[in-house]
Amino acid sequence: MNFDLSEEQQLVSDSIERFVQENYHLDSRIAIVKKSPGYSEEYWKTMSELGWLGLPFSEDDGGFGGDQIDTMVLMEQFGKGLVLEPYLASIILGGGAIKRAGNDEQRQAWLEGVIDGSKQLALAYAEPESGDEPHNVALAGSKTSDGYTLTGTKCMVLHGGTATAFVVSFRTSGGTVDQSGITLALIPADREGLSIQAFPTVDGLQSSELTFDKVAVTAADIIGDVDGGFETLNATINDGILAVAAEAVGAMEVLYKDTVAYTQDREQFDHPLSDFQVLQHRMVEMFMEYEQCKSLLFRATMEVASNGEDAQRCVHALKHLIGKASFFVGENAVQTHGGMGVTEELRVGHYFKRLLVIEAQFGNTDYHLDQFAA
Amino acid sequence: MDIELSKEDLDFEAEVRGFLKENAYTGGDAEAWRMNWFEKAREKGNWDVPKWPVKFGGPGWTPNQHFVWQKETARAGTPWDMPFGLSMLGPVLMAHGSEEQQQRFLPDIRARKVNWCQGYSEPGAGSDLASLKTKAELSEDGSHYVVNGTKIWTTMAHIADWIFCLTRTSDAGIKQEGITFLLFPMKQDGVEIKPIITLGGSHTVNTVFFSDVKVPVENRVGEEGKGWTYAKGLLEHERTGIAGISNSIVALEGLKNKARSVKRGNGSLMDVPSFRAKVAELEVDLMAVEYTELRSLATASAGTAPGPESSILKLKGTDIQQRIQKLTMEAGGQFSAAWGGTNAGPDFARAGMGGYMSSRVYTIYGGASEVQKDIVTKKVLGIKSSKK
Ligand SMILES: Cc1cc2nc3c(=O)[nH]c(=O)nc-3n(C[C@H](O)[C@H](O)[C@H](O)COP(=O)(O)OP(=O)(O)OC[C@H]3O[C@@H](n4cnc5c(N)ncnc54)[C@H](O)[C@@H]3O)c2cc1C
Repeated sequence: MNFDLSEEQQLVSDSIERFVQENYHLDSRIAIVKKSPGYSEEYWKTMSELGWLGLPFSEDDGGFGGDQIDTMVLMEQFGKGLVLEPYLASIILGGGAIKRAGNDEQRQAWLEGVIDGSKQLALAYAEPESGDEPHNVALAGSKTSDGYTLTGTKCMVLHGGTATAFVVSFRTSGGTVDQSGITLALIPADREGLSIQAFPTVDGLQSSELTFDKVAVTAADIIGDVDGGFETLNATINDGILAVAAEAVGAMEVLYKDTVAYTQDREQFDHPLSDFQVLQHRMVEMFMEYEQCKSLLFRATMEVASNGEDAQRCVHALKHLIGKASFFVGENAVQTHGGMGVTEELRVGHYFKRLLVIEAQFGNTDYHLDQFAA
Repeated sequence: MDIELSKEDLDFEAEVRGFLKENAYTGGDAEAWRMNWFEKAREKGNWDVPKWPVKFGGPGWTPNQHFVWQKETARAGTPWDMPFGLSMLGPVLMAHGSEEQQQRFLPDIRARKVNWCQGYSEPGAGSDLASLKTKAELSEDGSHYVVNGTKIWTTMAHIADWIFCLTRTSDAGIKQEGITFLLFPMKQDGVEIKPIITLGGSHTVNTVFFSDVKVPVENRVGEEGKGWTYAKGLLEHERTGIAGISNSIVALEGLKNKARSVKRGNGSLMDVPSFRAKVAELEVDLMAVEYTELRSLATASAGTAPGPESSILKLKGTDIQQRIQKLTMEAGGQFSAAWGGTNAGPDFARAGMGGYMSSRVYTIYGGASEVQKDIVTKKVLGIKSSKK
């Protein structure tokens, strides 16, 4: 048994940690958030130069052949700095679907650009009424001579505003909540009839809403098999969950450590706050929640990376625990900082906001508990 | 024991409903409507200052009438109002101000003409308020104080005309002594205001700097060095107001309606067992705390400061308010994360996470929960710390 990082993983981890420390001070982050496109194009370039964008792609696709454990290491460090670049959207989600099910032409046309950062992909799967279920797909493809046309909406599409193309789920057969009958297509952002409305989310990241007005999808756009897209979609979303869970673990580490540091610094009633036992015990609990999340993150990530039988259950368990712990750690970090905790000036609130968005993404805490129990 | 409202109470309830309906906002100039509303409420029988004692122009309601008023106004909505003058400074002036001060300040507070802010907290004095350092030095001729120092978290300082401010006039003795309660205008040289942006993205609180602000001695409330005693009574008033139980009852109804509008499967989010259970638990707690408040109302005679049991109301009431916000955010699903810009998802989700983040302050201001529990420990449970 061995939970240590490989030498290579440790190098990557160290270099990301350094990058985050040097570039992601709260002030510099706020400055990036405020300026279009909401992330740093310079950092994005750096990430590609350092090889991070190619991490989870096979060597044949021009990547480094890494797996979920490698991206976990990266995302955990990203979480410590609340990194804004569209890594999750383009590399894990959009790129993840293509690397799994794209044909040779699609891989050749897109992955090189994704890995060098010149192209961005995004995953468009959620809909106004899909709730937490990825298989709840109402956007219907109506059959044409050489494909389909799509009319409808996809929402909460991460980094859609800067995406070059979208991986879109739509229904080619079956009922709205059937897992079969879902098809994936790769649709360029400039396709006629597709409009993209970008907006920021409370965590400072970027999201978007896509409106399809008789958008044509040809056979060449289809990713994988018609009607058989769910497996790819689900595996891609599982990777997304692992990625945001790692990010959340990084963010929780910052929150509990900042709280421990703050209480030793701040004095009231002629004592540092850290002298008060209710606060001491609370911080122990925050620490415990963090450690538990980290353990389950390791478990789920290794299980998925090795295609274990228990992979799906582990992912549900992880997303549930991360959500629950996020509330506990976030609320108590803010509370223990007093008034300072609710200001934009201190970083705790920013980390908490990121955790909230993660909690609501890819199915919330209750949904995954329910799936776990099912 | 009897909780039925009497015939008189029911008549009063009908009258209140009628008044609120008649004077509801129907569009147009909101500020004109607001001023007119208070005027009408005054004509109705001093309903513009429900909690003020009769001696100072209040309506002299029974606890039941207060309960009815709270319940009905929470449902119907009332004009925007600030608590600082009306509910915080008002009672202090009534209890400890000179007659001249009462005549000078109370009418403008009542008319909503002058906005006040509360200058208590300082960078080094939050929970431990008595350690405040803002200095007030009496001039040699005894005609005025010169105030220097910094206040923080001052709500609405940027729109306030006046501040009621705790200052230090002496370092001798224990720190609760030597605190003096002063009143002075905000819009003058030597008062500098810096905004603090909170996590919902809004500007309500500020840091306020005083440099050589001159305050005439006639603006001191009560005696020099007794300000802590006056302020403590005031904090207890603040703590009941903050519980917001009637508002929570209305908000809970709102939450259920919102959840019913969110489709899940063939039903709504209210049919999802885990969500429904959380709403039900919340409602059970709220039902209990509503009666805790009634019990506290029944024992409090109008005009006197509510006792330490008000600490329970603040703790329970703010927890409930926060849970309502949390479940509202949850009902909005991932759309609660949107910071404008999206048309999809329920309308109420737009400010979901902002609303939740803003609600975190409820357990911090007006005495943080941990410190409230210390008060209950000492005053209600009677536990004294034994220094070894
Ligand atoms: C939105 C907002 C509006 C406000 N408006 C005003 C206003 O208008 N005027 C005004 O004067 N003030 C105002 N305040 C200030 C408010 O009253 C203080 O924030 C509050 O008293 C807590 O003080 P602090 O922020 O310094 O936190 P601290 O006192 O530093 O406390 C930090 C944490 O430590 C805990 N703690 C402290 N002491 C103990 C102890 N002995 N045992 C266990 N735990 C402890 C606290 O409960 C808290 O969780 C406002 C605050 C906010 C956030």
